[in-house]
Amino acid sequence: MSQLQMNRRGAIASLLAISAAGALSACGKIEQTPALVSGLAYAEPMQFFRADEMALIAAIADRIIPTTDTPGAVVAGVPEKLQALASEWADDGFRLFWRDGLAELNNALMTEGTAFADLSVAQQTAVLSAYDASVYSNAVENDLYKNLKSTVATAYYMSEPGATQELAYEAVPGAWIGDAPLSDYPKTWAT
Amino acid sequence: MGDLIMADFDFVVVGSGMSGGWVAKELCERGFKVAVVERGRDLVPEEDYTDFLNPWEMEHLNWKSSQDREDYPIQSEVYAFHSYTKQFWVKDGEHPYETAPGTRYKWRRGHHVGGRSIMWARQSYRMSEIDFQANAKDGYGVDWPVRYDDLKEWYDYAETFAGISGNDDGIEVLPSGGTFQPPHEMTHLEKEWKKVIEAKWPTRKMIIGRAANLTQPTEEQLSLGRGQCQARDHCFRGCSFGAYFSSKHATLPAAERTGNMTLIADMAIHEVIYDADTNRATGVRGVNTKTMEATEITARAVFLNASTIPTAMILLNSKSESMPNGLANSSGHVGHNLIGHVGGAWARGTHTGFQDSHHFGRRPNGIYIPRYRNHTETGEGYLRGFGFQGGATRMTWGGRANEAGIGADMKDRIRTPGPWRMWLGAFGETMPRFENKVTLHSSKTDKWGLPIPVMDCRYTDNEVNAVSQAAEDAKEMMEAMGAVDVISSAGSITKDTLGAPGNGIHEMGTCRMGQDPATSVLNKWNQSHDVPNLFVSDGSFMTSAACQNPSLTYMAFSARAANHAADLMESGAI
Repeated sequence: MSQLQMNRRGAIASLLAISAAGALSACGKIEQTPALVSGLAYAEPMQFFRADEMALIAAIADRIIPTTDTPGAVVAGVPEKLQALASEWADDGFRLFWRDGLAELNNALMTEGTAFADLSVAQQTAVLSAYDASVYSNAVENDLYKNLKSTVATAYYMSEPGATQELAYEAVPGAWIGDAPLSDYPKTWAT
Repeated sequence: MGDLIMADFDFVVVGSGMSGGWVAKELCERGFKVAVVERGRDLVPEEDYTDFLNPWEMEHLNWKSSQDREDYPIQSEVYAFHSYTKQFWVKDGEHPYETAPGTRYKWRRGHHVGGRSIMWARQSYRMSEIDFQANAKDGYGVDWPVRYDDLKEWYDYAETFAGISGNDDGIEVLPSGGTFQPPHEMTHLEKEWKKVIEAKWPTRKMIIGRAANLTQPTEEQLSLGRGQCQARDHCFRGCSFGAYFSSKHATLPAAERTGNMTLIADMAIHEVIYDADTNRATGVRGVNTKTMEATEITARAVFLNASTIPTAMILLNSKSESMPNGLANSSGHVGHNLIGHVGGAWARGTHTGFQDSHHFGRRPNGIYIPRYRNHTETGEGYLRGFGFQGGATRMTWGGRANEAGIGADMKDRIRTPGPWRMWLGAFGETMPRFENKVTLHSSKTDKWGLPIPVMDCRYTDNEVNAVSQAAEDAKEMMEAMGAVDVISSAGSITKDTLGAPGNGIHEMGTCRMGQDPATSVLNKWNQSHDVPNLFVSDGSFMTSAACQNPSLTYMAFSARAANHAADLMESGAI
């Protein structure tokens, strides 16, 4: 682990500790709450992520879960779910983790001077596939990327298209069948 | 005094939860006028239940916010707590308690009509003869004044009315009475796992859990407005079908339809009113939690069903010249002998076989492995035993994004059901000890004026050693099935790593029953030794904890106690 990474992780850990102690309460009070740390400014009231951050999130989310025979992450509204999480749900520790992490990720994915969000879809796919492989082989350490990927997946599979088109969803199954052939129910249950 | 007085009741029942609902039902059906007093609000299913929300309708991915953790620091740790169930749990700041120096206690609760019968996990198991004889055999606590045969018909009665799904498994330590609704089916892996365990350890059994979810409602249940379980597994959000047992949807409606029940919500009871001249309880005194209006409710007899800790608090707070240590406390045992269930033994694993099998719906239940230690197999360094809950289902999407790969390949991988995810977790019996207790704080009160409780409860080597062995057993049973990536708490159990007492959400024992008035609070009919028209049938009566989930036992004892009290009132004895 590089010195920089260690410092960053230490900073996040201490911020999480501060926020866990109740540095900021979330819903409904955000506009009135002054940012405790520089870099935590909201782009607009109730919109924490800036346009450039949203563009990066949308591009990454749609490469992680693209539209195939079913809708992808952007169609399913995943970037907006992340904006709501950051703006309404997260505390300062998480906000800083995401803001700093997105900046770092933006740098890491910059390709020949072009921001990731501005690359072609084919280029984005190639760049992110390589980066994803390096993170999961531990060649690169990036907690934010893992967190982002898992959050994108959660937001997607909990969305209506993710649950009902990509996966299988039964709001009211009616009865439980414990042991059935996979061929009867070939898809993963959304819940 | 200026207090509001509500009179003309035969019985007042303090508490509307798991046990109080049963008392109300039985007494009302016997023709008595009953006031049921609940400190929380009444629930309105259309407003309070969230069981029809789809995943995409849940804000912020249903993640607990930091505000939730701040408002509910203790309750938010419970598995059944989330942003759409928090309405059923108390805001900890409004309901403070303290712990004795050097001790911990986690008190999990909700204040509303139905109490914890709204949020319970619905596992329903009888105690057996070895449980009723446990204290006599090893000398902890006092002997139960009853045996299984005294309770058998009441278990039958409670199961039939409540509606318990399960199998008559023919297991000595987990009796059944031919009263079950059809059991939930095991998954394919569970069926295979059962074979492996029962072959390798011939006296261990893996059975389908016995759950208070209606799989085939009776006419009686339908007539109360209850419906069949829809296999949604959203029980912790409240059930609009009334398909799992709760007092709100089963016993209280049965009491209500007699015309004999008066339900009084938002009323916190602080004391039992006692008349020394006649040695009778004459009612209860409390405060309307909304208006702060002091209120007395008078009745010919009193049932306390406020749950284990509040019932002890009410009795300890009912001091008088003739009862300086609190009411019904000549033994000095009120508040003592606090017991419960200890967790902390668990194992999880993955199984990659049986990929051709799947399941449909969401089962509000799992598997159960009844106690075998210190029965058919020895226990090393401890008395009593433990049982396991568990299960095995195919993995959905949760956690599966946290692997290499993006794009269409990742979507395809997750669209196919994942490997089997297996789990086991134990509940162990905790030993009755006088020194584990609840007392009233000498000066601090809650905002309604009742002294707050102080919990003083410690685990000992008995609990540590039992949980240690349970964790090893869980790991072995997981590995015997061929699970991979097994993680468990085996090898890590110490007094410090065990969860805090109370974490099992099954607190009991603070008004135990026994033969001897010098060492117990209640007789075998849940009746005070000291005050003949005072009864207690919440978990505080439990003389020992056994290791089974206790609610069904509260139901059976409550029905039995209420009918005995009704007999006494009819005969003029009380």
